[in-house]
Parts: sequence; C-alpha cells; structure tokens
Amino acid sequence: MIQIKPILAAMRHHKAGTVLIALQIALTLAIVCNALFIIQQRTARLSRPSGVEESNLFVIRSDWADKSDPQHTDIQMQADLLALRQLGSVQDASPTNSFPLRGGGWDNFIKLAPDQVKMTTDAAIYFADEHSLATLGTKLIAGRNFTASEIGSQKPRDRLSSAQVIISKDLAQRLFPAGSALGKTIYVSADANKPSTVIGITDTLQAHMQSRRTPDYAYNAVLIPARLLDDGTVYLVRAKPGQLAAAMHDATKALYAQSRMRIIDRKDGVMTFAQVRQRFYKSDLGMAILMGIISVVLLAITAAGIVGLTSFWVGQRRKQIGVRRALGATRGDILNYFLTENLLIGIGGVLAGAVLAIGINLWMVTQFEMARLSLAYVAVGVVALLLLGQGAVLAPALRASHVSPVEATRSV
Amino acid sequence: MLKMTHLSKVYRTEVVETYALRDFNIDVKEGEFVAVTGPSGSGKTTFLTIAGLLETFSGGEYHLDGIEVSNLNDNARSKIRNEKIGFIFQAFNLIPDLNVFDNIEVPLRYRGMKAAERKQRIMDSLERVGLASRAKHYPAELSGGQQQRVAIARALAGSPRLLLADEPTGNLDTQMARSVLELLEDIHREGATIVMVTHDPELAARAQRNVHIIDGQVVDLSEDPRFHVVHAEHTGTNA
Repeated sequence: MIQIKPILAAMRHHKAGTVLIALQIALTLAIVCNALFIIQQRTARLSRPSGVEESNLFVIRSDWADKSDPQHTDIQMQADLLALRQLGSVQDASPTNSFPLRGGGWDNFIKLAPDQVKMTTDAAIYFADEHSLATLGTKLIAGRNFTASEIGSQKPRDRLSSAQVIISKDLAQRLFPAGSALGKTIYVSADANKPSTVIGITDTLQAHMQSRRTPDYAYNAVLIPARLLDDGTVYLVRAKPGQLAAAMHDATKALYAQSRMRIIDRKDGVMTFAQVRQRFYKSDLGMAILMGIISVVLLAITAAGIVGLTSFWVGQRRKQIGVRRALGATRGDILNYFLTENLLIGIGGVLAGAVLAIGINLWMVTQFEMARLSLAYVAVGVVALLLLGQGAVLAPALRASHVSPVEATRSV
Repeated sequence: MLKMTHLSKVYRTEVVETYALRDFNIDVKEGEFVAVTGPSGSGKTTFLTIAGLLETFSGGEYHLDGIEVSNLNDNARSKIRNEKIGFIFQAFNLIPDLNVFDNIEVPLRYRGMKAAERKQRIMDSLERVGLASRAKHYPAELSGGQQQRVAIARALAGSPRLLLADEPTGNLDTQMARSVLELLEDIHREGATIVMVTHDPELAARAQRNVHIIDGQVVDLSEDPRFHVVHAEHTGTNA
C-alpha cells in the first residue's frame, strides 16, 4: 500500500472516470443489496411448510350446474365422497372450502370471550370432515379427530356454528400462550351465543391467506366439522403412493359418473398439490428471478465498466507505465498500482452505495411495507462489489504489468 | 562501471533478422562522462536501453557495476534500475498527474525508502537543480528546461551509480540546453558516471570522451577516413 498517496493524487486528474465508476459501483451495490434482500424474502416464503403432506395429494374443484337446492348439493357431495373413497387408486378424500396455498378463502376473527370487542387474532376457516386430517396428511398432536356424527353442513350465508373445532398449533399457542388450548372455549362465530370447544390441535397447518401484511396469521387455522353447501365445492383427494396420475383420471371420471350436472374446468379443475404450490408462489418466484436477473445484469455492467475504464487508462498511461518500470517498478508494483487504484475507487463507491442501499430500503419500508434491510446484506454486498472490482481489473492490470520499460524511451 | 563485450541485439521477424548492435564493445570507467554519438539508426538508443536494462540483448556479455546482468530476472533488473541507474530522457518523462515532489518520489517509493528519508532526498535534489521552490508545481506549469531539471533531480535523488541521458537537451532551446548541460557537468565533477547519447556535436564536445556508433558497432573515428572531416570539425576525441 505504499502507492496510495500518488494514486490519490493521480485520481484527482481523472475525476470524471473515477466518479463515474464509483457512482456505478454505488448504484449497483444499492440495488443489488435490496434485490438480494427481496430474493431472500421471496425464497424464504417459497420454503415455508404448508403442514400438508403434498406428494400424492390433488385438488378437484367442482362447480354445480344446478345451484338451486342446498339439500341436493349436500346429498351429491356425500355421494361424490363415497365414490372417490371407493376408487382403487385413491387413499382418502374430503370436502373443503379452502386449503393451504389456495390463495383465497374464508377467515374469521377469533375471540376468547363472547363480549370481546377486539379480536384476539384472525384465522383461516377450513370446512372439514373426519377424513380431512388423513387426506391432508396433517398430524393431530393433541385431542381427537372429528367423528362422522359431528359433521354437519352449512350454507355460505349462515353464521358459523360449530360446537367442536380443531385448531392449528400456532393458533393454539397464540390464543392460550400459557397453557393447552385443548378443551378450551373459543368464539369463531360472530354470534356470541355460539361458543366452540377445541377438541383437537394439529401440527403446523398453513392458512390460505398469505399476505405479507399479515404474517402473524400465516399459520392460524380452524377446522369446522361441516360441508359447505356453496355453488361449487372442493375435494381434496389423496392418491395411493405412486398412483397420482391414475387417481386424478379415475376421480374425474367417477365424479362425472355420479352426476353430469357439474363443471370441472379442463385447465385447472384438477390440480396436483405441486401445481397448487407452483401457482401460489408464481409471483414470488417471478420476482426472485427478476431481481436475480437485474442483479446479474447490473454486476456484469459494472464489471464491464471497470474493465473498460481500466483498459482505457492502461492504454492512455502506457508511456507512464514504461517510465515507472524504467524507474524501478517491478511488474508486481504495476499490478499493485492498478489493483489499489480500483480498490480506492471501489471503497468510495461502496461507502456511498451502502448509504444509498439503506436509503432505498427505508423508502421501500414506508412505501411498500417491506421489511428492514439487514446490514448483513450490505456487508456481503460491499465485499462482493470490492471483489468484483478486483476481479474485473485483474486482466487489464496484468496487461499493464507486462508493459516493457523500454516504452519510456519511445515517443508517443 | 559499464562494460559490454561482443554484445549483440537482433530484432527478428518471420522473414528478416536486423542487427541493431553487432559485436559491440564499450568500457565506461567509474567517474567518466562519455558522449555516445552516431547517425540516426546507428544503434545509439538501442545501446542506451540495453545499458539501462530497459531491454534484453541477444548475445555477448554486459557487466554493470561488476554484475553480469544477462541472467537476471525481471525483478532483479528492476531493482538494479531503481538503485544503480538514473535516467534522463529527451522527453523528460515526468508523470503529468503528479507534482514535482511526487514525481521525484516515484523511484524512491519503489525502493521502499522511509518517508522522512524520501523527503530529505527530494528536497536535496531539488536544491541541487535549483527548483526547491517548485516542489508543489505540476509539470505542465514548468518550462521545458525546468521539467528537464526536475527529471535530473529525480535521477539524482536515488544516488545512482550511473546516469544515462538520452538526448537530454533535444527538446530544449539553446539557452535552456546550455544550463542543463552545465548542470550535468557539475554533477560529473562531483564524481558521477554519465553516459549521454546525443546528436549534438557541441554537447558531445563537452563530454570527457566520445564514443561513435555506426551500424551497431563502435568505430574509431581517427581510423575511418569517412569521418575525418566530421571528426576534425568537432572534438578530436573518440573511443
């Protein structure tokens, strides 16, 4: 580092190029840090557990062609479920209104007392029967499952009414942090006269609503023992191991055999859970890929800028390099000169970039409710940009180090 | 101090070999002031670049200050250039981005010298060339003569064993050339060994000894009838 002072002195005479590269590094750092942070947040969402045994599970959405009679719908649903469970390729099946990663559904305020004004928390409402836990592959960690006799039916406009509920463990902990939720009374319904007793607690079970604005509710779920008599229904079907494709085909055929008065969309009426997951996280994955591409392009442009400017400087200073060599500089000294020069510009750039990165993040926090950028990302970005700079400058610096001292005697 | 024996320098292309120096012999003693003259293309500059270890030679031997330099690697050659040789170029070759002080400091930094010693040497050498008050000036702010004096100060600051000057007054007007030459003579009188390549007969005449190069070889002007007139007109001394 014996050359820092003359390098700084020389840089004052190349302000434009120096400032441009430093600015490019600063902008790249600021954008790449935030992009990597967004990528991390989005990919973290991708890897969250759904609480569902996803392999061999598929979903059928059946809309009724005749929507006039809820009682008929209830009978049809029971017949459908019986037909599905009897298929050789199917292990189990259950009705529901929604499920994890569906991206929409029914959620209710949960209270602990009938006269409570403000909710304790919010939770996804999943209509279920005694086959639901087995179909989902979700474990019961306390209490018991629903019995067939407890399963009722409900119209969409009815107020929720259920004497027994099963809740997810995250909801249980949120509602009763001091002790077990089992046997406790909660209020799922807006009707103060209809308490529900918690008869079971499941292992992790993801809620259908996954807004980044409501991370606290992400694993709150309540299973209501009822069939929802809506304009259409959703059947969750678990295929026997290795028979997913056959079961999907058999199930559709069986349902149509039960009744032709239904519509199962050819495009997405029957979906594997893998497809459900893929569709749910499409925007997250897309955003992560977009941010990744932006980062790579920016880093490549910055590296190219450094290579270009340093190559230009090497060409411009060929005679000067020859003079330095004539005066005793070794090849290592020349290499060190350009690496140090780049490092100094890089340090200036990353310092400005770190401030800019934090500034951009603070703006996004206020405008888009983004999380605060971890300083670790800035630190990693700083190191990465400095290493990128050193890597980019290496080739032109090596070329410079091979300039012969005899250049000093040549007229330009 | 500087001894070349049967030295040759060949530039090879795919179709032709060109001898810049052929069977070249010279012996410069310590404390001598030698002028190397010759027509354009005779090999003067090639001799100087080889003498200054700026490029390698093809055959023969070269001893500099008692060291046979032909087998030295690039780092060792750089070290010798830095510690034993001072260069004075026709085009001054100051670094335009650095001020006078920083220019003179360049070779001293490569030597790893401490800051205090560097400063002392720089100010001493600037005093020596009469430019102590211009330490913070940039080359563009100086006249040609002053720039060459800075270049001489840079060469002197490292206390070299040998000063190599390539047409040191070539880019200067008569007045400035004279003052630079007087400075070189002073430096020689103080004991420095100087080898100066020049076209200028007046300049060559001021040296202690003249070496004439023709077609890449040292010639004795007194034995070559082609050069008797030139020889008589100018100096009367030769290699």
